[in-house]
Amino acid sequence: MNNAARSLRLAVVGHTNTGKTSLLRTLSRDPDFGQVQDSPGTTRHVEGLRLMMGGSAVIELFDTPGMEDGMALLDYLDQLAEPGVRLDGPERIQRFLDSPESHRRFEQEARVLRTLLECDAGIYVIDARDPVLGKHRDELAVLASCGHPLLPVLNFTHSPDLRIDEWRSALSRLGLHAVVEFDTVAPPLDGEDQLYDKLALLLDPHAPTLRAMKRDIAEQRQQRHADALLLVAEMLIDVAALRLSTPAEPPAMEEAAERLRRLARQREARGIDALLKRYNFRSADFPQHSFPLQGERWDMDLFHPQALKDFGIQVGKGMAAGAMAGATVDMFTAGISLGAATLLGAAAGGLWQGADKLGRRLLGKLRGYQELTVDDAVLRLLAMRGLALIAALERRGHAAHGPIEIEELIDDRAEALRKEQLPEPLLEARASPEWSTLLEEHYQPSNRRNQAVRKLATELGA
Amino acid sequence: MRHGSAARRRQTREALNGAMSQRFFEHWITETLRLRESLWGPLEDSAEAGLARAGDGNFPERVAHRARLLAQREGLDTVVQRWRQAARIVLIAFMVLAVLAGASAAAGALGNGTRPVNLAMAIMGLLGLNLVTLVLWGLSFAMRGGDTGSLLADAWLNLTRKLARGPDAALAPRALLEILSRQKATRWCAGVLGHGVWVIALVSCLATLMALLAVRRYSFQWETTLLSPDTYVWIVHALGALPSLLGFPQPSADIVRASGNVQSLPESAQALWSGWLLGVVAVYGLAPRIAALAISLFVSRRRLSRMTVDASLPGIAELHDRLMPPSVSTGVDAPAPQPVLPGTGRHAGRVETGRRCVLGVELPEDVAGPLLEAARNAPSTSAEASDHDTPSGITDLGVIDTREQRRQVLDALRSRPAERLLVACDARQTPDRGTSALLSELRTLSQAMQVCLLPADAEARRAQWQKLLLQTGFEPDQIAASTHAGMTWLMEDRNPEAPST
Repeated sequence: MNNAARSLRLAVVGHTNTGKTSLLRTLSRDPDFGQVQDSPGTTRHVEGLRLMMGGSAVIELFDTPGMEDGMALLDYLDQLAEPGVRLDGPERIQRFLDSPESHRRFEQEARVLRTLLECDAGIYVIDARDPVLGKHRDELAVLASCGHPLLPVLNFTHSPDLRIDEWRSALSRLGLHAVVEFDTVAPPLDGEDQLYDKLALLLDPHAPTLRAMKRDIAEQRQQRHADALLLVAEMLIDVAALRLSTPAEPPAMEEAAERLRRLARQREARGIDALLKRYNFRSADFPQHSFPLQGERWDMDLFHPQALKDFGIQVGKGMAAGAMAGATVDMFTAGISLGAATLLGAAAGGLWQGADKLGRRLLGKLRGYQELTVDDAVLRLLAMRGLALIAALERRGHAAHGPIEIEELIDDRAEALRKEQLPEPLLEARASPEWSTLLEEHYQPSNRRNQAVRKLATELGA
Repeated sequence: MRHGSAARRRQTREALNGAMSQRFFEHWITETLRLRESLWGPLEDSAEAGLARAGDGNFPERVAHRARLLAQREGLDTVVQRWRQAARIVLIAFMVLAVLAGASAAAGALGNGTRPVNLAMAIMGLLGLNLVTLVLWGLSFAMRGGDTGSLLADAWLNLTRKLARGPDAALAPRALLEILSRQKATRWCAGVLGHGVWVIALVSCLATLMALLAVRRYSFQWETTLLSPDTYVWIVHALGALPSLLGFPQPSADIVRASGNVQSLPESAQALWSGWLLGVVAVYGLAPRIAALAISLFVSRRRLSRMTVDASLPGIAELHDRLMPPSVSTGVDAPAPQPVLPGTGRHAGRVETGRRCVLGVELPEDVAGPLLEAARNAPSTSAEASDHDTPSGITDLGVIDTREQRRQVLDALRSRPAERLLVACDARQTPDRGTSALLSELRTLSQAMQVCLLPADAEARRAQWQKLLLQTGFEPDQIAASTHAGMTWLMEDRNPEAPST
């Protein structure tokens, strides 16, 4: 049988409670795989998993129960060895698997060994915080007798109290020189790449598959990032173009401002849900109410002044407070200066249609209506929160527990968003109320809007 | 059986679609579903998503598959069909109106034959509006604004919107506009519609003209107050140049001049004028429209043929991991076995009185050191037996890690079992079955045993250790809370009334 044509089979083995299931959750991007608990013997069966590339299965991974009694097993293997009969590693293991204790005392270990015998290689997961003990060496000896290459993966490398050097030298002494450093809670950006590269070194016939998988993962990551930026750009355009017209009396204006805020909040919530889904996380991972940031708690509300301060956005003097918070009253002059081009276009293209739209606004103005839009500062905040969430999602592995943590953005792009003029597509959106999908009666699909969304996404990602 | 009826339903639907290509319809359905989900939240789709995943294909194909199944379930495809029917009705109404308009324009321009036909007015009446709207359509490309660039198409859309019923009904035209605008084909498709209707109107106009000119007697003249006859000659010849290339007659200069006064015109001149008029209408009215129609058809067909599902749209990007899962679970091999812990034997056999031992199991340096220090410095009690290797009388069995070390210690204890044994374990590591087996065995080699979990402040896995120790058969009071408590227990006299010297 041609080894390379069949999908690559890997057994994930190791001492109990080292994060084997978590590793598989991270690699498979599936937060529901297996069961994860900080206790020994959580996984007691062998569970399989296929990694897909382009819709077809390429690599098959097997989560195994942890080895708990490696020393006694090695003793038992010695006991089974008949004097005068020389058996090689796999034969010894097979003999063990046919013995009575493989169904009783060593049933867990037997499952692991049976799986490893049927696979092409084993990934040996190590908790890098554990000391190197005799029982680990014995386990490795047993696993190595199965006759397949073993790739050690040091897990929890982003925790304090590490013993990486101890482990590296101990593994070297056992002949295992290729080691991968990983962390299932906050996976290093190149962790998966390291894994596939070193597997390719160990398993030469499968190297093309592994390299292709590595490339596919990188492409998927880029695609996800691009899609995420587009989702944020759509959200920003929708909110920037939102425009409510209201009579000029305070109670009506406050009501309209409240409606404006509600629509903006709902749109942000939808945007967050879409981002979570795109990265295959659950909504429960990002609670809608306050979440901790560097020890501070702040109100999730988009329109709270503290929220702006926390992201370092200056609140302009003219920004309204209280009931009118977050809404800007458009003096209509800004609208008409940018709308001059619209007027011309309307005249040329759809005479009465354009006049109808502009006419509605003119009529409103004549009747003493004002137009409310969302403050610039709030748009900046929306953009920064969106980008901060994307950054957090990129960093997070699917084995992580606990809520997603947002970190403040400190780079040139964030500075530009904070201080400089709003990106051009957003300015254009402000003058084009028909771009906002939040008010269905005014929304018109247009090619210009699609272009603006794409341009904004590129600018946000730059 | 179910497959068969589904296939038959599909066939009927395809037959109903008629001229419209199946692919375009699928895109329309996909977009309608996307809009619906983005407006009213995602639909429950586990069955449909499963079918889409099973159906293979790349991501856009799976999205379309899922959309097809969900649209069938939710009745969205009937919504779209109903809208198409309404649209067709309105379109037919427009076409009928166009025929009538063309005919009435022709009839109005020519009048009933009692008065001479004023050529200038006739031409303006027949071609004026047509030319203006054609020029506007051309200009609409230069400008940004406007919806579809064609007044007729806008009117058509508005009417169909008004005819639609139900909450989902507005989705169909909006979805159509979205997919057209994404392909940048809105203007062109609207152009096809607008120009098509105009072509019908103009054809009807020409036909009516020809019919009327054939059965009634008309006389043509031109009138002017400001312009001179030569200007008219020039205008007539200029306008007639193109039609004459196609074979339409061109009145000569004399006839043109003579037409200022209709009485002196021969019959043949009227025929020349009617030919000329038909030529002008055909070349300056119908032909540009046909050309515009042809261009619109060509461009819109080309742009629509490139239609694909854009995988990064909101509403579709989120489906990526659902329809193209990065991994698929293949299930377990067998149910998990019951954990088997080694038997809890009790000590049998002799014990060496006064032998008190302390032992570390897999303790790292930072914990083993203080423990052995404490053992060395524990207050001494009785002055029994001589081979104590610590001043306090506690035997330090060391820290065991490897198999050999375990074997040695177990052998040592077998030959000289202890009265009291204190075993210290690392509370920071995960307890496992191997450790449990070792502790069990140690218990059989001593009369009384306690386990001490160090360091005392390590909280994370303490509960697991306690659970394992209880499962191994230890009592809660056999778990020492700290080094000090352990040492105190170890140094306790078994017989409190023993004489002290």
